[in-house]
Amino acid sequence: MSKYLIPILFFLIFVYALIKRVKPYDAFTLGAKEAIPFAMSVFPYLVSIFVLTELFEASGLSAFITKIISPVFSFLGIPKELTKLVLIKPFSGSGSLAVLSDIFTTYGVDSYLARSASVVYGSSETVFYVAAVYFAGAKTKKLTAPIIISLVASFFSCVFACFICRII
Amino acid sequence: MNAIFGIVLTISLGLLCFCSPETALSSMLNGGEKALSLTMKMVVIYAVWMGVFSLMDKSGISNKFAKLLKPINKFLFGKIPEKANDYMSLNISANILGMSGATTPMGIRSIQELEKHENTEYAIAMFFVINATSIQLIPSSVMALRTSLGSSSPADIILPTVLATLLSTIIGILLVKIFLKKPKLKCQNT
Repeated sequence: MSKYLIPILFFLIFVYALIKRVKPYDAFTLGAKEAIPFAMSVFPYLVSIFVLTELFEASGLSAFITKIISPVFSFLGIPKELTKLVLIKPFSGSGSLAVLSDIFTTYGVDSYLARSASVVYGSSETVFYVAAVYFAGAKTKKLTAPIIISLVASFFSCVFACFICRII
Repeated sequence: MNAIFGIVLTISLGLLCFCSPETALSSMLNGGEKALSLTMKMVVIYAVWMGVFSLMDKSGISNKFAKLLKPINKFLFGKIPEKANDYMSLNISANILGMSGATTPMGIRSIQELEKHENTEYAIAMFFVINATSIQLIPSSVMALRTSLGSSSPADIILPTVLATLLSTIIGILLVKIFLKKPKLKCQNT
């Protein structure tokens, strides 16, 4: 079903533009032209986030925090095998995907751990990455409150994910 | 952001001095490389989506779309400028439909547009929280991975994922409504 969504949507947009007598080539090029300056303005922020994530991993700091925090997590119903995933997810999409496939191969893809890991991965966002990208060109520096709120909300959904996978 | 970056970087580099000093620079460069390859991918995705968005803008569809979503936007963000409303509507629809390539360019534009006006801090915060808690409906990448590893029912995570992601977005919205103030009076005065 979802594979039809994009072609149909694009088809309708193009047909509607033609009916409205928009010059399609000119309009499309005008939009596409902005892509490079756009991506370039995001680049420095991405570098900072990725350097941070790499160092966090390489220094063993992430492993250390994982160890300390996992009793707290398991008290809230998050199994200790998932602590790393929950911690990495806000920083890095590719990093957490690696952790996820690790859990899949270690514990079996249909196990309780694998299922709750899937839900944890699928239901939360890379908060710091989104913050870096969305505020790339922004003057506002009042990011603390929104970031904390997003992290708290994501954490609740992780707790909920582990809980609901136990029932279903 | 500065606080987190400062603290994590200092501790990590401090630890690396003792444990494995030779990996410090290489892992930092590794991070830069990942950022560059992601940027390259983003240029391509942005170019296609922004081309399509430009067509939508010129033909007036995006404006019609925005009118449709206006009541929801008013409830969530309060009073917002019309141009920003257009971009935000596209971003939120793309979020719900799971078109992750389309959400980012419209998200950045929405924030740039909101910043041009005063008293939009609340709307910016709410908009960010909605994007950062994700409203994904079909977790396609996870399902693909499970299928490739031989899962017997890769789709059984859809329902719990939808519930969890809805929950996080609702909690996010509520927390913003509780802890950040909507600039109601100031808007009416001006």
